[in-house]
Amino acid sequence: MADKSVVLVTGVSKYWGALVAKQLLDRSLPQLGDPKPAMGILQVIGVDTEPPKVEIKGLDFIQADVRNPNFLELLKTEQVDTVCHLVLDEDSRPGETAFDLNVMGTMTLLGACAEAGIRKVVLRSSTTVYGAKASNPAFITEKHPLQGDKKHGATGHLVEIETFCSGFRRQVPDMILTILRFPGVIGPHVDSGLTRYLKQPIIPTLLGFNPLTQVIHEDDVVAALVHAVFYDKPGAFNVAAEGNPPLSKLLALAGRSSVPVLHWLAYWSDPLMRNHWPVDLDYLRYSWVADLTQMRTELGFVPQYTAEESLREFAGAQRLGKYKSQEPVSAKDEELLKDTLERRRRMKEQQAATPVD
Amino acid sequence: MSNELTPEEGIFPADLQPTNSEEPVEVGDFVETMTEDFNDQSVGVSEQASKEELIIELNRLVDRIRAYDPDYQAPQFSPRGWLEMLGENVQHMAPEFSQKIYEKAKGAFSSDFFDPDTWKGLWFMLNYTVEYQTDFFKRRLTGEYEVDEWGYDPEFIGLFKPFFDFMYKKYWRVQTSGMENIPDVGRALLVSNHSGQLPFDGAMIGLAVMDEHPCSRLVRSLYASWFPTLPFISTFLVKMGQATASEENGVRLLEQEQLVSVFPEGIKGVGKLYKDRYQLARFGRGGFVRMALRTQAPIIPVSVVGAEEIYISIYNARLIARLIGFPFFPITITWPWFGLFGLVPLPTKWTIDFGEPIPTDEYGPDAYNNLNLVSQLTNQTRNIIQDNIRSRLAERRSIFTG
Repeated sequence: MADKSVVLVTGVSKYWGALVAKQLLDRSLPQLGDPKPAMGILQVIGVDTEPPKVEIKGLDFIQADVRNPNFLELLKTEQVDTVCHLVLDEDSRPGETAFDLNVMGTMTLLGACAEAGIRKVVLRSSTTVYGAKASNPAFITEKHPLQGDKKHGATGHLVEIETFCSGFRRQVPDMILTILRFPGVIGPHVDSGLTRYLKQPIIPTLLGFNPLTQVIHEDDVVAALVHAVFYDKPGAFNVAAEGNPPLSKLLALAGRSSVPVLHWLAYWSDPLMRNHWPVDLDYLRYSWVADLTQMRTELGFVPQYTAEESLREFAGAQRLGKYKSQEPVSAKDEELLKDTLERRRRMKEQQAATPVD
Repeated sequence: MSNELTPEEGIFPADLQPTNSEEPVEVGDFVETMTEDFNDQSVGVSEQASKEELIIELNRLVDRIRAYDPDYQAPQFSPRGWLEMLGENVQHMAPEFSQKIYEKAKGAFSSDFFDPDTWKGLWFMLNYTVEYQTDFFKRRLTGEYEVDEWGYDPEFIGLFKPFFDFMYKKYWRVQTSGMENIPDVGRALLVSNHSGQLPFDGAMIGLAVMDEHPCSRLVRSLYASWFPTLPFISTFLVKMGQATASEENGVRLLEQEQLVSVFPEGIKGVGKLYKDRYQLARFGRGGFVRMALRTQAPIIPVSVVGAEEIYISIYNARLIARLIGFPFFPITITWPWFGLFGLVPLPTKWTIDFGEPIPTDEYGPDAYNNLNLVSQLTNQTRNIIQDNIRSRLAERRSIFTG
């Protein structure tokens, strides 16, 4: 291994990518874990379709799209050790663009990683992949079959990605593939499905249904991803905050009141109202609480915030920050990336040629 | 209440301080005690001795409020404020409490109404009660209440317990035996026959253990995964601390040293026809035995007699059931002909027998994979329950009087 481990973070101009890259560079390790991280000094390469809006100090930025055919070249040239793939369009509306980015993007990337012999890949997923079913156990373990609703945008994409990953693991047994499954993310800054739901002027719930819920704080998502980059923990892990309040308590803690809707009316109008419901209706009807035993034992990660703390913090600092990225077309340009890589190669050669004093 | 409160012995001396000797009482207890005191007073209206006793009692009560909550200050007394508060809040108070006030007001002497201390005493206590009750709802609305990881909400049980207490004590006159077979601490798996179209038997078993067991333990019933699809019922069951029937849930609960109850007959048992009463249906797939073997929890066979006759089901309308998405749709002699009145169960006499525990710790932790052992234990449990039911039925002279 090179003396400098190279970590490549995709989606670095978006919320999660930027924060994870920053944390990796700050090398602020989570407080828990074994004393010897598997990795040494880090060099962080950020990849995205557009430059970061706020400059991240020390980040090596390359403008590229993961679906770029020359991405493999990038991985090889830069001698990347670990890839942290954080590009995920979580728009709940199903669409070809999002499918192409989420599913095809991840598949292409994983293919390139296998080809380039990348040691480790970290992916972000969601506990919605288990699906909300009446027959769910109260605490869903990682081994539970993925029954998430495939019709439903990001959840369906994640189910596809994860199903692909389980086959991929067998094909490339040497690669460490870590998948972290998070529930609804909450926090003062993040724009997630859950925060969008909680920021609506009228919050719909289903009359007579009060499922147990699970949340995770935005800082803990970043900390968990950084943890997964530093330590080698192959497999899929549920990562969530301590505590699973009923939906009514969650809303109360978030300082919001709800409007209950007859469930059959809600289901009946679902095709029309789909864009107004933040999540699939079943997720408001049945519990989908993930079991956290593996997170504590195997992964060795403990979130800092409990569910109640993060909800209270959210209630205290509720503010709106719509955040939506737009892809410039140039990022998909093969030639452009090729040129960029060539330029970088030249620069490196120059650096190597210059005698160090 | 007020006949006893003479001006000389007024319950609010100015120098009254919270006494530390009294232990702080639970607020719930306090409100109950208060209503009891209202009751007691009618006994000794004429006797001076009991009068004084009651005044002391009332003074102590006020002390207890102050000891429990030293910061509590009743607002400044004024007759106008009194009337306003009474008018605004009587309908918000617990029904039994406001009824007591009305009764007492009727029985009081007219002179008491001119006694300012009467009104001051009522003012203090009413204010406290109202504050306590609004506090309860406020905490509910701001989410400051605790549930465990299964969603069990102890405060919630209090709202429904009176109804089930009535069904248990007055309506079905439940009799229990073998309560000593339930351990005081630690895990155990209660296995019971299931019947009754509506799962009242689960509630009664839970209530029996809660009320009659010396340690007043909570029973976690595992219910069919059809119930979570129903509004209100799903919420109710979760708040009562129960969980859906799956091996994962059962094992996790038992590992937390809980008392778990299962009904291996499942939906087949609930929807039993009257002609098949007390004939145990197939005992699931032996999932409950695997649960017990994995956690080495003793199996306690429970036989419920009486529940199988609360509805006289004559037919299972499968087509209707399929149309509305129910696992079965019973046609009883009253349902659906009399609408919701058809849901009133018959007042049969119930007995619940808790049998000798069947130990499972001698088989080792991997025994749950032994299909032979699982089916053998399943049959053993089933036979014990069936035998207990038979012997109980042989003793029983009448369905309604036992």
